[in-house]
Amino acid sequence: MKITTITQEEHKKAFRSVKKPEVIQKQKLNVRYHVEDLDVSDRPRKFLEAFAIILKHSNYKMVLDHFIRMTARCSRCSVACQVYQATGDPRDIPCYRSGLLLDVYRRHFTLGGMLKGRVTGGGYLTDEKIQEMADSFWNCTACRRCVLECPLGLDHGLITHLGRYILSEIGIAPRALVVSTRAQLEGPFKNTSAIPVPALKDTLEFLEDDMFEEKFVKIKFPLDVDGSDYVFFAAVSDYLTEAESLMGIAAVFTATGDKWTIGTDYFDGINYGLFYSDRVLERVVKKVDDETKRLHGKKILIGECGHASRTARQFVPAYCGGTQALPVVNIIEYTHRVWKEGRLKLNPGVVTERVSYHDPCNYARNRWIVNQPREVLKSFCKNYFEMAPSGENNICCGGGGGTVSIDEIRPYRTTVGGRMKAEQIRRSGCEVLVAPCANCKKQLRELVEDQGIDCKVVGFHDLIYNAIEFDDSLKVARDEAGKEAK
Amino acid sequence: MTTSSLLEFARGPLFRLSFAILILGLGRIIFLEIWGIIKAYGNTCDMKMPWQLIRSRSLEWILPVKRMMRNRDVYSVVSFLFHFGLLIVPIFLFAHINLWQQSVGITWPALPYLWAFWLALSTIVFGATMLIGRMAVKQMRFLSKPQDYFWLILLLTPFVTGFICANLSINAAFYQFIMVVHVLAGDLIFILIPFSKIAHCVLAPFSQVVGAIGWKFPSGADEAITRTLDSPKG
Repeated sequence: MKITTITQEEHKKAFRSVKKPEVIQKQKLNVRYHVEDLDVSDRPRKFLEAFAIILKHSNYKMVLDHFIRMTARCSRCSVACQVYQATGDPRDIPCYRSGLLLDVYRRHFTLGGMLKGRVTGGGYLTDEKIQEMADSFWNCTACRRCVLECPLGLDHGLITHLGRYILSEIGIAPRALVVSTRAQLEGPFKNTSAIPVPALKDTLEFLEDDMFEEKFVKIKFPLDVDGSDYVFFAAVSDYLTEAESLMGIAAVFTATGDKWTIGTDYFDGINYGLFYSDRVLERVVKKVDDETKRLHGKKILIGECGHASRTARQFVPAYCGGTQALPVVNIIEYTHRVWKEGRLKLNPGVVTERVSYHDPCNYARNRWIVNQPREVLKSFCKNYFEMAPSGENNICCGGGGGTVSIDEIRPYRTTVGGRMKAEQIRRSGCEVLVAPCANCKKQLRELVEDQGIDCKVVGFHDLIYNAIEFDDSLKVARDEAGKEAK
Repeated sequence: MTTSSLLEFARGPLFRLSFAILILGLGRIIFLEIWGIIKAYGNTCDMKMPWQLIRSRSLEWILPVKRMMRNRDVYSVVSFLFHFGLLIVPIFLFAHINLWQQSVGITWPALPYLWAFWLALSTIVFGATMLIGRMAVKQMRFLSKPQDYFWLILLLTPFVTGFICANLSINAAFYQFIMVVHVLAGDLIFILIPFSKIAHCVLAPFSQVVGAIGWKFPSGADEAITRTLDSPKG
């Protein structure tokens, strides 16, 4: 899909720095996102030390060795990258971005590079190179679309991930993510939005009342139920902004009668570690596992959130027992299964708008969740249509890789990162776009607002909630419902 | 040293040496690659591999019929045909097989003359197109390092010289000179392949496995890193 590159004016808007000049000077770092105060002395040495320690305790050396023997710099990945397609700046080509870190590895961690460096006296890591990496790695939305276009099969997303990880070890990481993670791992409320448990309970009770008034069915959010089939972790921001998605999920469980619960000791599915630090990633994944085990749950169930689902599915086995680890299920997988089994009835007359489905990269890139939501949507949305490209080749919303949580870069996200997606939505004439991911939903809403596109962005379970039909046995008579509500 | 003795040296001892370096060098990096993969796999608790995805994505690029035409179709076709000729012509050329038969006594079917002619010519044309593309297309020029140009020129050298010797009427002295360049360039390619990006000729099939295992992070890395950072040496 071809798009026009940004104009000079858009460039100015997207790349403006929100940091005060004195902060830039103090931090010796001019990036578009806020960074917490950090030690600025001897930065290259610290970067290399962090790099060396990470290499020692990870599998990245094998990946980097493979990359440096392979990169052909054919630039084919440039056609897949929505950031490069928007800026037209060759420094945004995925292969160039990976090259920034590969050059450091080659120069400082391989014999040939070290010898060459000695002979030529150059190639050392400098503050300027660190600055370029700090910029470049956070320009990327980590959507990994470029992986599909690399003829040599190189995963540039993995190199961006590593680059951000090393930078975070020397204090260069978006403050928004670091602060949220601190609240999640060390704060009193143990979640990224700092929601206290009483507030969570209030919210859920309010939603239960709402659902009762609308559906005449007692739909519950069960808390701390021991021995449930599923222990549920939503992206915690859903409790603040995605009430309909949560109501849809609760409604599905009420219809099926399966046992599920939300743990009050730990209920946040968000894992920003995927975006900037393997150490954070590991700690958060272990918390999810611990909470499920505390409640003697049989499976970990993740809500409508791409990165939360991918981190749990990919890293619970890695960090929490390998083949013995608890199974991880995404809520769409669950809903699709019960619908296929005939345990979920959906009214085909409720949703009449032109509906399409946006694939969150973390679901679709590895062909995990692609057809399941489509099968369900097609069954009850009269005017469902497919945007192209989609599925495995989908276009990123432009807020991937944690960038959506960095509010100060919204102009970048909606001008550069999401430009291709905006064009796709505009051309398709979509009225309702289903985006079953907390990050995608936030980004797409901001995108359609900033780009002036008339399209409503909803979650998958928002539509399920609208269309769900309950057995009569579950319904409470209208007059009785009125009394209960009073 | 006369041209003819240089030619004998280049296609005799020097060729044997460069061929040995090629085989041993490629053997070394394949060994290191597999060793690295096994070691990394042993570091992780998550032993489940997405074999179906790995297989299908590997095949998609080894036989790039599906992927090739989706984006940058001209570049893709040119690149594919260039790679095809690059592999097929040197291995199945009658003159090369003849040399193997004379020296070690082994033989295999050769390309018919016309096939060899057109395939060699197309490889030269497509190789030159890739070289021009690298210089002309903005993003390719930006990414390219000197070795990227060097390799295209080096790979085309034996093709151009071989094509001249096989198809043009030239005098004996010039023929010998061109032939020396042809063989020396071939020797140099063999020597350099294991130490350069052309190693992708044997490493490309491992990419998907490397990517899949690369995303399997070892358990306990967080604690180990904290320990290392806290240690007096750390």
